[in-house]
Amino acid sequence: MSSRSLWRSLQTQTRRRLAMPETPYRCFSCTRQAQAQPPKPTADEERFTHFGFQNVPESQKESMVKTVFSSVASSYDVMNDMMSLGIHRLWKDHFVRSLNPGSALPSRDHDTAGRGWNILDIAGGTGDIAFRMLDHATNINHDAATRVTIADINPDMLAEGKKRSIQTPYYNTNRLAFLEGNAQSMPSIPSNSVDLYTVVFGIRNFTDKQAALNEAFRVLKPGGVFACMEFSKVDNALFNAVYKQWSFSAIPLIGQLVAGDRESYQYLVESIEQFPSQEEFRGMIQKAGFLIPGRGFENLTGGIAAIHKGIKPLN
Amino acid sequence: MTRPTSLLALTRRGLSHASSPRAALSLAPRTHLRQPKPQSQIHTTTTTTTTNPRQNNLTITSRTTPSRPNRLSPSTRTYHSDHHPTQPHDYTNSQTTILSAALHHVPTHGFSRNALTLGARDAGFLDVSVQLLPRGEFDLILFWLASRRGLLRSKVESDGLFSAGPVLSVDDKIQILLMERLRMNAEVKDQWQDALAVMSLGENIPLSLSELHALADDILNLAGDKSVDASWYSKRMAVAAVYAASDFVMTRDTSAGLRETEEFVARRWADARAVGDKLTGVRECLGFMGSTAVGLGRSWGLKI
Repeated sequence: MSSRSLWRSLQTQTRRRLAMPETPYRCFSCTRQAQAQPPKPTADEERFTHFGFQNVPESQKESMVKTVFSSVASSYDVMNDMMSLGIHRLWKDHFVRSLNPGSALPSRDHDTAGRGWNILDIAGGTGDIAFRMLDHATNINHDAATRVTIADINPDMLAEGKKRSIQTPYYNTNRLAFLEGNAQSMPSIPSNSVDLYTVVFGIRNFTDKQAALNEAFRVLKPGGVFACMEFSKVDNALFNAVYKQWSFSAIPLIGQLVAGDRESYQYLVESIEQFPSQEEFRGMIQKAGFLIPGRGFENLTGGIAAIHKGIKPLN
Repeated sequence: MTRPTSLLALTRRGLSHASSPRAALSLAPRTHLRQPKPQSQIHTTTTTTTTNPRQNNLTITSRTTPSRPNRLSPSTRTYHSDHHPTQPHDYTNSQTTILSAALHHVPTHGFSRNALTLGARDAGFLDVSVQLLPRGEFDLILFWLASRRGLLRSKVESDGLFSAGPVLSVDDKIQILLMERLRMNAEVKDQWQDALAVMSLGENIPLSLSELHALADDILNLAGDKSVDASWYSKRMAVAAVYAASDFVMTRDTSAGLRETEEFVARRWADARAVGDKLTGVRECLGFMGSTAVGLGRSWGLKI
């Protein structure tokens, strides 16, 4: 009797359990449903992009980057030295030396290209790279005709560069020009007019990197070179761990102590983390139409930074 | 049985669409399957691939299209095939244009960046376009070596070298080929020491040695050497050593028609033969002594 009642109670329990609504219905045939793509955002919804680890609307990123660089402009060099332990100077020197700007050979009669290179230095507000290239062209290649246009989206960085240019022999000559503009569209620069397009530690802040690459392809002469130095991915796991530790704990701290601005440097390390790997970025350069010489990139200090190059083909 | 192959085909096809060149070039099918692929793609394409048996062919042709310069090339082969000759170099078209134009400036400007710049200008490029050649002047030297090697091969294949005179032995042919290759360097004789210096820089040594091996390999093949034993290595070593030594002699040779270099090559090759003969003698002697020792041991009742 007791056993029967027990049996009955068990039965009711099982029945009750069966009757329970099984909300997360799990079976294999459902994985397709679960993996089905979420509905695409409609056109009027705004597109989002990375700002460090945050997602922000594309229209806002530009102004946010602007704020960051306006706040770091004055302490830019001190901070770069402290964060990279001075290595960024070696990288920049190597970058300029490998490009070897300036024509060492005199122009011959049947040469079509004029004397001197026309260099466009994008996101080069403080003139770090521009002055190095002019120095190299003048002192190494004895070429006093090579000229550099420094373009930057940020007027504060450009002001810093103008201030520094007073100390250089190129101040107030036609070899150095400043231009405030967005690298994704530079209507003031004619197509096929630039020999060398450089962007050093700048392209990761661009809202639409592919658009900037396409614009670079437009302004370069056929045979012209796109050269870019940017933070990249470290290839050694052990070194990567040390590097990540340094960049995520030390750099914001240094920023807070020296520049009094933790958020800007937090953004800096996060934007480095978000930037595509060497191979992905090479793919983007190829997609814009450039020829890739050799492997296409050169790692510096184990891949903390990498130099990418692309050449615009002759038609 | 059909199902795994069709899956393989579609993963291949998926990869051939990918823009990443490394992904497009890797060949081993296992690595393809290991690549994480979006589930939705597999679901949607399974049906189409099972109904279309020609899918596999299509994917293979699409994978061979990318014209990637050096070292990423999947078709690196370590042996010779008479039916499929290897390319003497693997530069892209633009690189070849600049390099061949630059070779015209080598006699005056040497193997230098200036020669490259002038070559780029002649080919319609800008001064800055020499960035296409990441190794700079060493690329020019490598191109010289590779193109002269190709020239040597085409000379033999058009029967311009061995057709005259009686039937030649392999040794004679090797000497003729060595001299022929050295004569090609004679036109840049004054610049060649600089080039040798660049080749001997630490970072350039591996590529220089592999080019030297390629030359020794070509010479032995063209001479008709078919050895497949340990002498395969020793012969290549000998040819490479004789060539490298004669190259230095050639740069200092002022005699008419490189007569001194020719004599030097003959002497060195005779030396190499003598060393080879001695080694063979020593080996035979050791073999004889060994077999005598074994026989002696057996006659004493040792179970050898």
